[in-house]
Amino acid sequence: MYEPRIIGYLCTYCSYPGADLAGISRIKYPPNIDIIRVLCSGRVSPELILRTFREGADGVLVGGCHFGDCHFINGNHRTAKRIPILKKILEYAGIEPQRLRLEWISASEGERFAEVVEEFTETIRGLPPIREVLG
Amino acid sequence: MEYRNVLTTCVYCGTGCGLYLEVLDGQVVGVLPAKTHPVSEGKLCIKGWNAHAFIHHQDRLTKPLIRGNGRLIEAGWDEALDLVAERLTAIKEKDGPDAIGVLSSAKATNEENYLLQKFTRAVLGTNNIDHCARL
Amino acid sequence: MKRLEPLKKVVAEALGELDGVLALRNAWGGVAPHLFCREGELDGLALWPKYPLPRTLQLIQKAHPESRLGIVARGCEERGLIEMAKRNQIDLEGIRVIGLACTAEEARICPCPKPYPSILTHMVIGERIEPVADELVEEFLAKSSEERLEFWKRQFSKCIKCYACRTACPQCFCPECTLEDALWVEIGRIPPPFPSFHLVRAMHTVGKCVGCRECELSCPADIPLATLYALIRREVEEMFGYETGGDLEAQPPLVLPMELES
Repeated sequence: MYEPRIIGYLCTYCSYPGADLAGISRIKYPPNIDIIRVLCSGRVSPELILRTFREGADGVLVGGCHFGDCHFINGNHRTAKRIPILKKILEYAGIEPQRLRLEWISASEGERFAEVVEEFTETIRGLPPIREVLG
Repeated sequence: MEYRNVLTTCVYCGTGCGLYLEVLDGQVVGVLPAKTHPVSEGKLCIKGWNAHAFIHHQDRLTKPLIRGNGRLIEAGWDEALDLVAERLTAIKEKDGPDAIGVLSSAKATNEENYLLQKFTRAVLGTNNIDHCARL
Repeated sequence: MKRLEPLKKVVAEALGELDGVLALRNAWGGVAPHLFCREGELDGLALWPKYPLPRTLQLIQKAHPESRLGIVARGCEERGLIEMAKRNQIDLEGIRVIGLACTAEEARICPCPKPYPSILTHMVIGERIEPVADELVEEFLAKSSEERLEFWKRQFSKCIKCYACRTACPQCFCPECTLEDALWVEIGRIPPPFPSFHLVRAMHTVGKCVGCRECELSCPADIPLATLYALIRREVEEMFGYETGGDLEAQPPLVLPMELES
């Protein structure tokens, strides 16, 4: 039974505490996701995302703060522009753009985090394993 | 202020790609491919793009060096050549010509390589000649 | 030939006021960039094949920051200069642009959005023609996702990692290139592992690629890079309303915080 592997890059000040809240509140979400905490979602670069796919991640979730809440003022603005254009590039390369997802999750949105992970895991489960795509 | 391009052949492999050395105020600063060259057609490999790197390199030898007391000391051409002739003659007499080996380089011209193999075979009296690309 | 003689006249006149004009020269049986400093040298002035002149201009200007230079620039070269100026890679104050329009034949071999300069100069030698569409872009858009994957896998498997696309690009100026970082692009693997090298390069051309095609022209493996970057350029225009090389005042989208966008 194919269990997709998902990597989540969550920012320190909003989405990681959000995920933490989901854990503390005992809200269940699929175990397929492995979370890596980064200082800001703006730190997540295209080369990092591509290397993550190459290492075997079937899906990559990037979690950042809502606009106006970023601890670094406009780090999330960079992410907001970078991820959509990277998704388009993946589309042109023939790699499914649904494998990369950007979500704004605040520190109090524990339930929402669980929902997003649930949804995303199902999306990725419907796609072929990344090894079959990248070779 | 002077900038010009000088056509030459890449020193690295046997393909012989044509390239231009960019000369700015008497110093070689870069390489441009020769777009109308029949062999390279405006393309270069990574060695060709960096073919200028050794020309003004700080580690490049510019004077003969003789080892004395465990250190390399600068010497004149006559002193160095006399020492080489003396020592090679002594080794040839004591251990025979096959005790000497000669190593050439693809960066040298065909004419220089011809001269070196003639010297090795006719003067030193041995077949032990090879070049760096065979290492 | 009807561009060469008028161009020689214009350059000769410019040399009266400038320290040098960067253009192409017939020499050694081929064509290469040259800094013309004296009218006598203009006999060797040439027009084709083109070279990434903005890079060379930056090189000369860095060595002689106070000099007054001229450049014979086509449409793509003008766009290249505009994007370089936005990133403080070149100072347009000391530069006079002498415009050169591409012929229909040149635009056919080398299709781009606008085969003549119009922003940094109003004096253009040659007839301004309609841009020629890149057929490969249209052909590519019709492909399915699987066909696209197979296409690029095959193309990128030819790559010998010569870095020509990066070195020839007039816009690539980073002293520490991401593509040389062993963490993202492992050393010693030829072809470079799919898709890191090429998609990272594609991402880095966002807001920078002006469609000069030097990358594709210098690729020894004939990978259709200019087509990939042209597709991305269209997306950038659609997504951010940013026409790369089209406006000296517009700031590149990826570095701009969103509230400063109008």
